[in-house]
Amino acid sequence: MSRNPSSSQTKNTVYIAVFAAMIAAMGLLPPITLGIIPVPITLQTLGVMLAGALLGPWRGAMSSLVVVVLAIAGLPLLSGGRGGLGVLLGPTGGYLVGWVFGSLVIGALFKYWVLRRTGNAARFASGLAAVIIGGIGVIYLFGVPWTSVVTGLDLRTSLIGSAAFLPGDVFKAVVTTLVALTVHRSYRGLMS
Amino acid sequence: MIAANNTSYLARIKPGWKFGALLVLSIALYLITNWTVLLALFIFSAAILLSARVDFKQLRLPLISITIILGVVFILLGLQTDWLNALRSVLRLLTMCLLAYAVSLTTKFEAMLELFQQVASPVRFIGGNPAQIALALSMTIRFIPELKKVYTEVREAQHARGLANNPLAVTVPLVIRSLKIADETAEALDARGYDSEPAKRRF
Repeated sequence: MSRNPSSSQTKNTVYIAVFAAMIAAMGLLPPITLGIIPVPITLQTLGVMLAGALLGPWRGAMSSLVVVVLAIAGLPLLSGGRGGLGVLLGPTGGYLVGWVFGSLVIGALFKYWVLRRTGNAARFASGLAAVIIGGIGVIYLFGVPWTSVVTGLDLRTSLIGSAAFLPGDVFKAVVTTLVALTVHRSYRGLMS
Repeated sequence: MIAANNTSYLARIKPGWKFGALLVLSIALYLITNWTVLLALFIFSAAILLSARVDFKQLRLPLISITIILGVVFILLGLQTDWLNALRSVLRLLTMCLLAYAVSLTTKFEAMLELFQQVASPVRFIGGNPAQIALALSMTIRFIPELKKVYTEVREAQHARGLANNPLAVTVPLVIRSLKIADETAEALDARGYDSEPAKRRF
């Protein structure tokens, strides 16, 4: 049976929807507390990172964008049951925009770099680097300056404020890398 | 927060206008530095929210959390710069917040989605498919409870093995089952002849 273009477009749409739903569902779960980390970890960015690592740049970014659009439109999909325009225009709005580009960067790095490496160690190292660059670097790159612009606080203060979430995000990056590499092993061709 | 069945005059204004006004006002707020003007705008936005007949119960938690954040911002800014500056910043944030809530709580979710689709329709010209975007949005909503159920089932199954709190033991099955759900749904859509290609134009 030959693949016609419309069936892979359907498949892409469904994949985007399923991962967007995953990101949304993770926002509905309560934050988890690990003994060693002072701030409870919200799981939502784990979904954002996974979407990029598993679906690639475009579908991953679309998944994050779908969640952001639905949340701004009013659904309480963000951690803590938040939603509505106020979140975008408020101090944490930049992080939402960062999600879309974060997934994009993680997806691109996975597709064109990580998945071309051979050997478990090389894959894990490059995968972790990719998730940290996209899932932390890019997201904070949008989130931190936005906080400064919106609140009037200087960049250093915003950066220090966001540092509390860094250990949790690194933990999520490790989990994402391990999960993504495991799934790619059993689901070959997920990102070709 | 969902605009349940708002009956005020704000609900009758088209979402595009409300959204546009909000964006213009947001930019204006950052260009204004006179604190008396900012105070007046804040009172104006509070008046708008109060007149919008919104369900204030929905606002209780968001308002509490925004108060805490603004308190922190006020103190930090006041100590780092001066208290007038801190006042200006807090007034701006509060005003935007109140106006954003006024828009959010007086605009139906479906109307917001329609607005987004209108805004996004130009993607047609760069190869995007607006119908696909619309489908993705509604499919996502439909999948959320299903995925929550999968998460709960996976956690319970792993709990039986003492692995309920192992992030890998929970996330990997969750992802794999979600991908299976996605594949089955896509097959079902195709089997019904769902055509996700935009109609070819004939000239």
